[in-house]
Amino acid sequence: MMRFVRLTAFLVALLVPCLRARGEIRFPPPDFESGYELPVTTTPAPQPAWREYVDAAVLAAALLLASHLILKRRSRRAVFVLMLAALLYFGFVRDGCICPIGAIQNVTLTIFDSSYAIPVTAAIFFVVPLVFTLFCGRVFCGAVCPLGAIQDAVLIRPVAVPRWLESGLRLLAYVYLGAAVLFAAIGSSFVICRYDPFVGFFRMGANWNMLVVGASLLLIGLFVGRPYCRFLCPYGVILRNLSRLSKRRVTITPSECIQCRLCEDACPFGAIREPTEDWPEGEYKIAKRRLALFLLLLPVLVAGGAWGGYALKGQLARVHPRVRTAERVYLEETGQVQGTTDVSDAFRATGQTTGVLYADATQIRHRFGIGGTLLGAFVGFVAGGKLVALSVRRRRTDYEADPASCLACGRCYKACPKEHERLKMRREAALGRV
Amino acid sequence: MTQGTKPVDSGNGHIWQRTARSTAIVGAVFTAVFSVLLIANLIGSAVLGPARENKLAAMKLDLQKDATNETLLSAIRQLDLKIRRDRIWRLDFAHRTARALLGSVLVLLVAGKIAYDLGKEPPRLQHMTERGQIQVREAKQARWAVVGGLAVLVVVMTLVGMTGWVRFAQAQDEGPSFASMEDKQGQWHRFRGPGGAGVSAYTNIPTSWNGKTGEGVLWKTPVPMPGRNSPVVWKNRVFLTGADPNVRQVYCFDADSGALLWTGDVPTVPVEEKLELMEDTGYAACTAATDGRRIYAIFPTGDIAGFDFNGRRLWHKNLGVPDSAYGYASSLETYEKLVLIQYDQGDGSEGKSRMIALDGTNGQIAWEAKRDLPNSWASPIVVDVAGKPQLITIADPNVVAYDPANGREIWRAECLGGDVAPSPIYAGGLVLVIEAYAQLVGIKPTGQGDVSKTHVAWHMEEGGPDICSPVSDGTYVYLLESSDLLICCKVETGEKLYEEKIRGDFRASPSIVGDRLYILDMKGVMHIGQAGSEYKELGTCELGEECYASPAFTDGRIYIRGNENLYGIGRKQ
Repeated sequence: MMRFVRLTAFLVALLVPCLRARGEIRFPPPDFESGYELPVTTTPAPQPAWREYVDAAVLAAALLLASHLILKRRSRRAVFVLMLAALLYFGFVRDGCICPIGAIQNVTLTIFDSSYAIPVTAAIFFVVPLVFTLFCGRVFCGAVCPLGAIQDAVLIRPVAVPRWLESGLRLLAYVYLGAAVLFAAIGSSFVICRYDPFVGFFRMGANWNMLVVGASLLLIGLFVGRPYCRFLCPYGVILRNLSRLSKRRVTITPSECIQCRLCEDACPFGAIREPTEDWPEGEYKIAKRRLALFLLLLPVLVAGGAWGGYALKGQLARVHPRVRTAERVYLEETGQVQGTTDVSDAFRATGQTTGVLYADATQIRHRFGIGGTLLGAFVGFVAGGKLVALSVRRRRTDYEADPASCLACGRCYKACPKEHERLKMRREAALGRV
Repeated sequence: MTQGTKPVDSGNGHIWQRTARSTAIVGAVFTAVFSVLLIANLIGSAVLGPARENKLAAMKLDLQKDATNETLLSAIRQLDLKIRRDRIWRLDFAHRTARALLGSVLVLLVAGKIAYDLGKEPPRLQHMTERGQIQVREAKQARWAVVGGLAVLVVVMTLVGMTGWVRFAQAQDEGPSFASMEDKQGQWHRFRGPGGAGVSAYTNIPTSWNGKTGEGVLWKTPVPMPGRNSPVVWKNRVFLTGADPNVRQVYCFDADSGALLWTGDVPTVPVEEKLELMEDTGYAACTAATDGRRIYAIFPTGDIAGFDFNGRRLWHKNLGVPDSAYGYASSLETYEKLVLIQYDQGDGSEGKSRMIALDGTNGQIAWEAKRDLPNSWASPIVVDVAGKPQLITIADPNVVAYDPANGREIWRAECLGGDVAPSPIYAGGLVLVIEAYAQLVGIKPTGQGDVSKTHVAWHMEEGGPDICSPVSDGTYVYLLESSDLLICCKVETGEKLYEEKIRGDFRASPSIVGDRLYILDMKGVMHIGQAGSEYKELGTCELGEECYASPAFTDGRIYIRGNENLYGIGRKQ
């Protein structure tokens, strides 16, 4: 009991340095007679170009190391240390920018806007993790991504998310990816960067809304493993589908599976798939009919989604600042709102006519009509595809890490008794050699 | 942070797990406390900050009105200091609490993780047949979840779709962003109406009213701030301006009811010396002007602003305080979407005078023409000369015509002298200008360059008004001295036909309605007389209030600004 009291007292004492006495305010405010002179405003020098290449080199090196640690050395502890190092460097040192997730938008914009030249580092950050995923699975997610790392670090008491809920929530990431690509393609906004939930923590400051969203995700992340990665991350959508094709990926057991379920229990991301049995009696025919129904439903969902996306072109276009300005100016011009805003004042100061503004906005809406149609069709296709995929039964004889969902964190093989056995034998062999 | 699966010694493991759990609880409590403190600090900033800043802004406004109030100045300084101190204290508190929160979160995470790992139980093994049923059930639930997700998406899309969006089609069909010259003919869009001529487009103007008894007066509305400027009317809106040394305002009244629809404030920029003006000129002598879409107003401080018809200030500009001997008084003119400002100042040798055209939609300078002329008080006019617009301006000693679209000088005639206050008019094919106490000059506006010797049609050298502008029906031109003399001349030759004594002092310029002259004296008595080669007074109407401003005439109505009130006279429409 005394030991507990001493330990608690020690931990509490650790907090005391954080609570410095209030004391005097360090920078007394200027008063009218103080003769205070405002400091000269200076503009910080731009970041040197080599810094970005160093970032790209660090990314590549981290991915190489992660691949080695996850697939070859199979060390969860080393992966965890690498993950923390990546969190410190890409997150807190480099302020969470640039990251492959946001680079989706740079790549999209360079495809759709000939006047935009993508920075080389943005292209490297987008492509390199994809290449590694193609050969080694989602090693980027497991050990290098700062957004994943910050969530992983706060995971205390993982709760299994029911498989059905996970299937439903995963739709969100596809919608987010589609929307981010659409908005970037039309040059409206880089929504992934704007609504990055954790960048506020990396930069030690953000607007209130971003902090609330980020804090909420971290709070959920105490119990649900990496909620952003699994249900929202647009880059994760690309990686999970690419990872299905990966040449090498995480294997749970080094030898035969004894079906102890410890790996399933250890995985906080619901990525372990259990062995499957044959269809229960009477289920097979129903399953075939269901599959046929969903295959027929697929084009209907695509068409419905396309129609819905087109119908929302006016609302989607509001993300574009030119359209928002046009709407505001129009409402002011027609007396539907009172007062002006900084944006409408700034527009009027440009000397452009409202006719040009409205024509621009109409043109942008037209492009959103096309983009919204494609986005809706994409979402319909994903939903239909998921229904089809959930109607197909895959055969498994052992517990396996799902190639798409596995975040390559290494928890599963750390929990595997066969892995422990292998490590023990290796240690004994090493001792024997000594 | 390890995933513990190895068995632990039961005795020690039990104690360590309890210790870790207790530490985690302590960490959680501290986390909660620091979170609450941070949130309270944030709410405090959000509530107290704006309230104090609003109070400070209000106090600063009060100080503008009473700049010598030392008590108020001291209170402002105290409050400003308090706001700064509070803001810095809160920032400091937030930083410290955030660091403490970070520490407690770390304790919570480490201890919680250890407690969880030590207390974890091994998973239960599944029976094979049970597993098959579970998988079928899970797949079914997952399909329903996808369908549910789709349904949620449809609901969200529907809700978003219901928000609607602004359609611009109507706005694009509204045509140009200014009224045409033809549209202006039926309105009273500037000082003395179209072309500054003082001629009503309508003949159904009242001939009888009494401001004291209310007879024939449709409405009477107090004007909040004083001003010598005249009413400007566009359809169902009447515009005026008012000002004192500290405040400048634009007013919009409902033409049918006289209700004050909105008041627009025109800001200014701080200047070192306080502007002192002649009482007769006042701080709002310049009449506003509209292009049919927006209303523009200028003040002797050099502040000019554009408002839309709903009272939203679209832009504001300070042109610099004009160097004007009696105070700046030139009224505005509009051409298409341009606001035309005759900004004459100084003695003419310093190159300060300019003719300025601003884009009415945004206040940007469209063109600017330097003028080597001294300060003047006349207003510019835009007239149609043989199908082409000309902007006519006068100042000692020149009459200068410009192309209003680009500011290019077309012609100039040297024929004036002294202080120039009456504005020019264009009638009977001649530009008619007045040199105070000296002469009336008729100029043919068809020349190019210096037309002093080629296009001056005639001089009538038997005197001329010093304030009131002339008025003409095309055949006769009428000059109103500010004392009590009305002079009539022939437009074609300048020949003086008669002089008529009219009892009263005059600041408002005379107007013509059909074949009648409307002459408003300073006491508010309107003298209505027969126009033509002989003057015959037809009647008088009393307003019961002093008047300096020239009246405005629209369909069946006269709008007269008294020193205190604006009057709508005529019938209901």
